[in-house]
Amino acid sequence: MTAALVIAGLFALILINVPIGVAIGVVALLGMVADRGTIALYNAALTLFDGATNFPLIAIPLFILAGALMNTSSISRRLIAFVTALIGFIRGGLSMVNVGVSLFFAEISGSAVADVAALGSVLIPAMKRRGYSPSFAAAVTSSSASLAIIIPPSLPMILYGALADTSIVRLFVAGIVPGLMGGFSMLLLCYWFAVRYDLPREEGFDLGRLWRAFKEAIWALFLPVIILGGIFGGVVTATEGAGLAVVAALFISAVVYRELDWARLRAALAEGVVQTSVVMLLVATSAVLGLYLTEIELPQRLAQAILNLTDNRFAVLALLNALLLVLGMFLHGAAAIILIVPIVMPLIHQVGIDPIHFGIILTLNLAIGQQTPPVASVLVTSCSIAKADIWSVTKSNIAFIGVLLFTLIVVTYIPAIPLSLVNLFYG
Amino acid sequence: MTALLRRLLERLLEAISIALLLGLAVVVVLAVVMRYSGSSPVWYDEVASVQLAWLTYFGAAYAALKRAHLGFPGVVLKCGPRLRPVFFVLGESIVIGFLVVMAWAGWVVLGVMAGESLVSVPWLGLQVTQSVIPVGCALFVLAQLLSAPDAWRRMRAGVDPEGAAIDEAIRHARETPAGRRPEDGA
Repeated sequence: MTAALVIAGLFALILINVPIGVAIGVVALLGMVADRGTIALYNAALTLFDGATNFPLIAIPLFILAGALMNTSSISRRLIAFVTALIGFIRGGLSMVNVGVSLFFAEISGSAVADVAALGSVLIPAMKRRGYSPSFAAAVTSSSASLAIIIPPSLPMILYGALADTSIVRLFVAGIVPGLMGGFSMLLLCYWFAVRYDLPREEGFDLGRLWRAFKEAIWALFLPVIILGGIFGGVVTATEGAGLAVVAALFISAVVYRELDWARLRAALAEGVVQTSVVMLLVATSAVLGLYLTEIELPQRLAQAILNLTDNRFAVLALLNALLLVLGMFLHGAAAIILIVPIVMPLIHQVGIDPIHFGIILTLNLAIGQQTPPVASVLVTSCSIAKADIWSVTKSNIAFIGVLLFTLIVVTYIPAIPLSLVNLFYG
Repeated sequence: MTALLRRLLERLLEAISIALLLGLAVVVVLAVVMRYSGSSPVWYDEVASVQLAWLTYFGAAYAALKRAHLGFPGVVLKCGPRLRPVFFVLGESIVIGFLVVMAWAGWVVLGVMAGESLVSVPWLGLQVTQSVIPVGCALFVLAQLLSAPDAWRRMRAGVDPEGAAIDEAIRHARETPAGRRPEDGA
């Protein structure tokens, strides 16, 4: 009964537009005070502080800052020029360039909206000028940007790893194969559309142009290779890798490309602060909710209720997928992770699902959630840049959402796909 | 007067939050350098964690001033012009009420922590590190109050805050070297 009241209260507060971070804190506080009296207030204040000191989450502001710094320079334009020189000669090449660059670049700053705005502002007008329909251009941009959240460095994975007490580095490694698989599926889909609608090729393949574009983009290309190589190779931790990413992004923007002025730097820093604190406030108040839920044993009771229905791993995963897909339609990614992870983790452990495997499933569900209205900020941003209405873009997007769903199903039911690289590297 | 106060608070919170973010980056990079030079700093984990908490709460007040916290405005926007103000006032009251209670509880807790300090940095008292809860919550309340008039006007006009944020992100992207379109000129 108490649990039902907490959940109903939380959704009521969210529906009247109380910020989700505060809504979580309010229901937790009311529940704790109802159970233990006003003494719980002091415990809540202490937990608000402790919840914000989760060490692995230090990677979040640092990756956000690195991404914001990169977003202020011409890195995206250089990457686009390189990928265009590489695959632009294929029919429908510009849509494939969109997928390729998005996978490399998107979600890098922690703000999906800022990243899609950065890439879409260049690619969508270019696609429209080349005769692509605005709704198709917006759909490709939006869905490929969402797929990118399973490719490291991924902020949802850092958040999940910290909340589920799971290795962030292993989550990063687990995301590689599903990310590439989804990316190649999207490239194939673009080619199919290109043949069907006779979409144009860009300039013919020219080794000289490819080499020049490569030289222009070399820093942008090697930055993730060095940072992720350092993290995967055990040279630095995920947090330290994020710190190095800041130094590298600052060096590339300010020294190599000479594009970083004080106004842009200040704007990038301010944006980094906002993105970080929005996520971290959710984390901090969810620690208070987590404390309360543990006291009333809600996660354990939920796990038991589901286990009474079925203890089949794949059936449980199907139920969780359905829940996450619905939640993803109504909640932003960070909020969905923060609400769902503490509640379902006991179930995940009891059924014997690998937490790394579940982390990738969760992240893929959130990627699909970014594409499904009413809450679909990535989709809305793409629509806004393309000046196309959301429903016509959604119609064009159905096939791309299909690719995301296909990737989700394959990853859910063939755990070897996300876990094979993890097992190979870490045994 | 409200606009001036708001601008001052924005500058103050921006300066503090950016300093905290840069400080965090410096500490992490310094720790890597020290680790590879053979003298891992013992204070690293504890100090960086406290910096993160400070960044969280000063940044949260800054984000509140910009009304950037994640919400779900869809239902309220769909309500009629009579119901919308009711939900607005109710929502604002709940936010402020929660933060006032947490600021008070955080202040009381500080009294219990007298004489205690960080394990790795004994000269830094817990009263100082934990003061971010009452201070941060109070600043959040102030930010919420100072940004309320603008938020009220937008709510009355039925402006979707998410749509406004998206427009801002697109405008910002078009101002960067990557986002400038040929027709925009150099």
